[in-house]
Amino acid sequence: MKFSTTNFFVFMFLFLSILGYTQDISFEAKASKNSLGINERLRIDFTMNRNGDDFIPPDFLNFTVIGGPNQSVSNSWVNGKRTFSKTYTYFLSPQKKGLLKIDQATVVIDDEVYKTIPIEINISDAVDKPRDPNSPEYLIDENLHLVTEISNNQPYLNQGITVLYKLYFKSPLQISDARESDSPKFKDFWSHQIKIPQLKVERANYKGIDYNVVVWRKTVLYPQKTGELILDPLTLNLMVDIPSKRTDFFGNRVYEQASRSISSGKKVISVKSLPESGKPANFSGAVGKFDFNVSANKDALKASESFQIKVKVSGLGNLKLFNLPKIVVPNTLEVYEPERDEKIKIILKGMQGSTEDNYTIVPKFKGKYPLLPVSFSYFDPELERYFILKSQPFNIDVYEGPVSSSNFNISNQKINSQTNILNKDETFRFIKLEPRLEPISRTSFWRSKVFFLLVAAPFLLLILIFLIWRSSIKKSSNLENLRQRQANKLSKKFLGEAKKKLGDKKNFYDALELALYNYLKARLKIKNLDYTKEKIKEVLMGKNISEKEIDVFIRVIKNCEAARFSPTSDVKMKSDFDKALIIMSSIDKRL
Amino acid sequence: MKYIIVFLIYCSSTIYSQDFNRIFLQANDAYNNGLYEEAITLYNKIILGGQHDSSIYFNLGNSHYKLNNVAESIYYFEKAKLFSLKDEDIEINLAFAKNMTIDSIDPLPKSDLLRFREYLFDLFSLNEYSFIIILFSWLTAIFFGLYLFNSKPYSKKFYFSFSLLSMLFLILSFSVSSLKSSIKKEEIFGIIFDRKIEIWAEPNLRSENLFSLHEGTKVQVLDSLQEWKKIKIANGSEGWIKEAIIKNLN
Repeated sequence: MKFSTTNFFVFMFLFLSILGYTQDISFEAKASKNSLGINERLRIDFTMNRNGDDFIPPDFLNFTVIGGPNQSVSNSWVNGKRTFSKTYTYFLSPQKKGLLKIDQATVVIDDEVYKTIPIEINISDAVDKPRDPNSPEYLIDENLHLVTEISNNQPYLNQGITVLYKLYFKSPLQISDARESDSPKFKDFWSHQIKIPQLKVERANYKGIDYNVVVWRKTVLYPQKTGELILDPLTLNLMVDIPSKRTDFFGNRVYEQASRSISSGKKVISVKSLPESGKPANFSGAVGKFDFNVSANKDALKASESFQIKVKVSGLGNLKLFNLPKIVVPNTLEVYEPERDEKIKIILKGMQGSTEDNYTIVPKFKGKYPLLPVSFSYFDPELERYFILKSQPFNIDVYEGPVSSSNFNISNQKINSQTNILNKDETFRFIKLEPRLEPISRTSFWRSKVFFLLVAAPFLLLILIFLIWRSSIKKSSNLENLRQRQANKLSKKFLGEAKKKLGDKKNFYDALELALYNYLKARLKIKNLDYTKEKIKEVLMGKNISEKEIDVFIRVIKNCEAARFSPTSDVKMKSDFDKALIIMSSIDKRL
Repeated sequence: MKYIIVFLIYCSSTIYSQDFNRIFLQANDAYNNGLYEEAITLYNKIILGGQHDSSIYFNLGNSHYKLNNVAESIYYFEKAKLFSLKDEDIEINLAFAKNMTIDSIDPLPKSDLLRFREYLFDLFSLNEYSFIIILFSWLTAIFFGLYLFNSKPYSKKFYFSFSLLSMLFLILSFSVSSLKSSIKKEEIFGIIFDRKIEIWAEPNLRSENLFSLHEGTKVQVLDSLQEWKKIKIANGSEGWIKEAIIKNLN
């Protein structure tokens, strides 16, 4: 270095000595930088090669003068040649951003006014810290970065995203140890950290510069909430080897160790809610790409054996985060709580594999059980639409076992018994082979005109017959009635006469005999002419009168006949009369 | 005389339906060969032709059962049951069809009185009851006539008491069948044909959703309001359904 500067002075000396006489007067302005940050400072020198007077600096509009003017004069003679320079130095701080102009400065040399050329200076945003590029702080900041890489900043709800934390570093830094001091807690996310067995250093490009990179942490996240979700920063404690200014004996830099914590900074993920349009009714929150399958391990079995139905969803997506659709089976199948079987691998893209529900089902009764198709719907975030998958319907045939019914009443006894189960051997009955077709339009016989007619007919008929019978009887029995009534009258008349003649033997018995015969005529319809005792007996027997009474009757008649020729007393007459009355009333009762 | 007329009407209808009997046998063949769809169309042809009976509905129920049409098969078995009350085949196959339904509905326990009433109702069909009423009315009249025209006091007593007894039966059977016919007219039963249907507490969608039913459930339709129907199921639950496909049984 020193060598080169001496060289330069020698050269300058020679050069200037040659040009010494022809040298013109110069007055120049020189800025230390042409562009700087607003928080940086600027040095400006106004240099003249002849001593001048009356130096007027520019007004430094939009700048603040922090230091100066400092004046320095150098004067040298080399081989009789004089070199002179006089410098005014100002330190400036810009007041605003943009293209600023430093105006002309003027000076009077040899009675002539000289001016500098205006300088334009570009003032940009604040520079982080105008630092010393050799300080360890600066070296770390420039060469070490902890970066959060998010696969998708605007995922849908339940759409998987990957977050990678990468540590970039480049020489001259070296990292000897790293430790996580603050792990992010993924609130409102379902998170899974993918294990990294061995940290590997790779080469990668970051912001156009080659770096060494280590993937520190891989996390799969499934947002569980919509809106702006904040990812907490990851903070690492690093032991960093930094080259120091010192060199060792061999001229190599000596490294210093420094402890340093580095944070990835907060990240915001805005989670979109799933679109409402076209959302299926049975959507249970599955987001990804799936296949759906329902299968049974048997399709025919006996009652009280078991079979299994598998409801399986496989694919890539939030497999652990939604419920599988339930199967719908007929009520007579006994269904147990399903067993959940998950075969899920979590890879960088998300959850991959399958999840399934295994239903154990025991049919209780014989029959055919159709299993309705089950539908499963999911949202595909890439195609941004919903898909509905339906399983195939299938039948389970239970070929042996009891048949059931909730309201069996085949025979009347069955109503009272509470059993719903029939014999074991009941089978599905075959169709009927013999039709007994009748027109649908036929009105029911109940309450029809014919019905009422048939109900009323016997009664009408009965009344009719009764009336006819009554009238015919009246006609045919008019004559007989008359005769009977006369006989009755006569009988009563003679009976009364006999009562009067009590004591008068002949007349009494005549009257009593006539009364008895007329009575018989009226009651038994016996003609006058043919009454012998045998005939009377026969007729009376036919009328269902006891033999004893008939005997009494006959005896009274005999007494009447005998009394005419034999003596008799009043007492006998009285008893015969009483007997006649008693027997007549008893025959009356019988007829 | 009147019986003869009825008999003649019956005979003429059977002669007329000779054609349909042939279709029926064809349908039976189709069923036996496993062509259930064809059997169904043939049976329906007969019904469209204006002829029906218990066996045709029973066979339709069987065909639909074979095709896994739950609601249809239950509907036709129930319909067949309306014709012949004491057919074991219908009961068994209806039980098979009911096994396919999703809902399990336990019927309300019935009081003894109600069970006795139902027993009387199901003892005979209305037509059979009609003939029983006619029989007893004739018996009553004949016995009363015998009572009137008999002069023997013993037989008079005998005939009179018989006449009273048959009159009692006449009144009983008449009242049972009148009650049966009026109740049958009031109670409208139907089968739900919708795959799944929601039952609401009131006939609007703001009300509480009570439960849901699946196809093949037998319901009693109590009321209707616009597109809503009030229904009652066998366990006594009631509710409103909207725009349901319910096929009435009677």
